[in-house]
Amino acid sequence: MDKLTIALAKGRLADEGLKLFEKYDLVSNIDQESRKLKFTNNEKNITFIFVKPSDVITYVEKGVADIGIVGKDILLESESDVYEIMDLGFGKCKFSIAGFKEQSIFKKNEVLKIATKYPNYVYSIFKERDQKIEVIKLNGSVELAPIMGLADVIVDIVQTGSTLKANDLVVLEDLEDISARLIANKVSYRFKFGLIEQIEEILGGK
Amino acid sequence: MQFKSILEELAATKFRKNIERELEDYFEDSGYWMIEPKIFQSYDEFVCSNLRTDSKKTVKVLSGNSEVYILRPDITMNVLRKIFSKWENDKPLKVYYNSKIYLNNENYNIKEMRQMGIEYLGEDSLLADQEMITMAVNLMKKIDRPFILELGSSKYLDSYFEEIDVDIELEIKIKNYIAKKNKHGLKSLLKKNNIKSLLLENILTMQGDMEEVINQAREYPMNIGMQNALKELEDLKDIFASNKMIPYIHFDLSMIADLDYYDGIIFKGYYFQSNKKILSGGRYDRLTEKFGEKASAIGFSVDMDEFVGLLLKEAK
Repeated sequence: MDKLTIALAKGRLADEGLKLFEKYDLVSNIDQESRKLKFTNNEKNITFIFVKPSDVITYVEKGVADIGIVGKDILLESESDVYEIMDLGFGKCKFSIAGFKEQSIFKKNEVLKIATKYPNYVYSIFKERDQKIEVIKLNGSVELAPIMGLADVIVDIVQTGSTLKANDLVVLEDLEDISARLIANKVSYRFKFGLIEQIEEILGGK
Repeated sequence: MQFKSILEELAATKFRKNIERELEDYFEDSGYWMIEPKIFQSYDEFVCSNLRTDSKKTVKVLSGNSEVYILRPDITMNVLRKIFSKWENDKPLKVYYNSKIYLNNENYNIKEMRQMGIEYLGEDSLLADQEMITMAVNLMKKIDRPFILELGSSKYLDSYFEEIDVDIELEIKIKNYIAKKNKHGLKSLLKKNNIKSLLLENILTMQGDMEEVINQAREYPMNIGMQNALKELEDLKDIFASNKMIPYIHFDLSMIADLDYYDGIIFKGYYFQSNKKILSGGRYDRLTEKFGEKASAIGFSVDMDEFVGLLLKEAK
């Protein structure tokens, strides 16, 4: 069997992904609690690496990892040159515009201020709308922005909506469904086509 | 590439020049003439024939009277401009270039990339297709590591799109999903737009062994264009077999060319453990019409930075 390197985003997506790989004995002695970042299963010729979510794409794009599991939110935010070969169906949530109840997201001639962790995505969404915007890039606790008057609305991923609720915000518009995706390096996809197809079957539970 | 000293850099330049000379000899021995295309081209013209290209990536320049030009992001267009101003339709013409293209990279810095390539114009399509694929494989064999030549046809899907009722914007969206090998995205887009097409739903499975894929494609109704596309690919089978090229060919009917002007066979070459597309090309008869006359035309280009880089690694 050819060697295969899989990049996983530390956290929930990695847990869900590893569960599926475990079923097929592709995983051995991975201890996510440890600080070790690279685990190799010599018997099956598979290496798992654990990186930050946004770095999964980088590792796969540059060909250091052959495939990776990453959230659609991160794929939408970064322009990447990778194949997006499968919707894994877990890690489901939504990209939504949120703000105060009954607030309008259309301000005729005024600028709509939007706080978000995903500026590129916000620009792409509003490009087609007739609304001037100012995007404020934040790195976390985006919900705070409308409360503190930093922005009119936010664009963020919403799962249960409990963080919104706790901060008196509501979803004003749903934009896009998000879930975990299997991505592949373009050259690996060619040379390890059979192997990657096998992985697709494993992850699809076929 | 970064070098520690000027001598090291000059030695690398010498190394590269030797390889370029070797390729130039190969092209000239095969009957190709050197051509030196212009560095500029009109922005409008480029965008018009490449609808899916991200125009941010092209490097713009202004002329004295404020017309927008770009530094050529590919070489074929300028080669054609040069040739078709004096084209004599009855004579086939083979040319090669050793040149550079210019694109903005992710950090919006201008990137200079070396390319060598060949174009074969006005020849019987089948003969030219065969010669092009053979030369592409011969070139890839110059480096001692496994390689794959990905082969498809843009005519197949383009002919299908003539058949079904979708506007150009949707067609581009569909093609972008196919280009990303994004099955689920494609499926939900088709569903959202109420397009019932078994062919589009299954297009991403149409890759692998040539015969199997062609048989699979035959299960769907085809118009003349699609039939021609498949025939052009099948016609190459003999030359693959007689030159022992089959192990290198990976057939893929879902291939979408990076540039929209291709309208026949398209191909890309990759080396094992090199993360770049080394070679890419295809047939582009349709593009020649823009320069006056429709003629048979096919060509490919080689990413010389990567090609030389791999040979340099091999030499060390």
